[in-house]
Amino acid sequence: MNETTLLLNYLVVGALLFAIGLVGFVTRRNLIVMFLAAEMMLQGVSLSLVAWGRYHGDWGGQMLVIFIITVAACEAAVALAMILMMFQRSGKLDIAFWQQERESNLPAFVDQELPAEPEESKHWPTLTPAGREPRFDQEEVVHRTHV
Amino acid sequence: MYCAIWFALTLAGTAGLFMFQGAQFLGVATIVVYAGAILVTMLFVLMLAQPQGLSTYDRVSWEPLLGAGVGGLLVGLLTHLLRSSLATADAGFAAAKPMTENAVLVNEHVAGLGAQLFSKHLIAVEAGGSLLLVAVVAAVAITSQGVPKRQGGRYE
Repeated sequence: MNETTLLLNYLVVGALLFAIGLVGFVTRRNLIVMFLAAEMMLQGVSLSLVAWGRYHGDWGGQMLVIFIITVAACEAAVALAMILMMFQRSGKLDIAFWQQERESNLPAFVDQELPAEPEESKHWPTLTPAGREPRFDQEEVVHRTHV
Repeated sequence: MYCAIWFALTLAGTAGLFMFQGAQFLGVATIVVYAGAILVTMLFVLMLAQPQGLSTYDRVSWEPLLGAGVGGLLVGLLTHLLRSSLATADAGFAAAKPMTENAVLVNEHVAGLGAQLFSKHLIAVEAGGSLLLVAVVAAVAITSQGVPKRQGGRYE
């Protein structure tokens, strides 16, 4: 396989990763999933950069990827801290909860009819309870009913 | 929440592709750095998710069809552009540059990477280190604020 074909294959994989990440970031509403999708976009760009670096026999691409990883680590630290705080405030990981922060001239997003819950997703793995049962804060239970 | 596990698999695949491209250090660094991030994310998922099934906002997306269409369009455009531009570039590039020594594919890979990193990009390394420090301080500052007192189910 010659170098250009190799480069093209890597660039296509990078573009696919980026597009999947973009679609995930735009469409999903769960904060953690949005975070993972953003990381996936970074991965796509990194792959393209490494492929270009190999193609040109230059270190520049790998340098940039090192800094991308650094920035991604910073982003992960700040984003997970923010997600944790937002979860503690709203009790859910829904980004639509924070639409009150939107511009005043934009319409609100309202949930249309909800799709029926698929049958198989009701059986989730559970942990066997152990130890003394903690006392529940009733207000807390109401606050985070369904995450 | 299988998305974290699948994302970890994607990362492993990317690291493998890095290895193939002669970027051993980056492959290992990706795994090491993201293993920590993924572990933390898994912890988040385990902490925050509850075994009552998917919540409503996990089953309802913003404009799923439009998003998928835009993504498909993006991939198509990029692929078409790359294919057409590289096809023309291929002939000229191969003629102009005989494939001799590829600096990236040498045996002493990490040594070459480090030599570049700490000579040509020293200021960028310093800036990156400062950025990491600022991010750590910011994360601590964000989480140490605590939650304000709730009043009747609403925060003031």
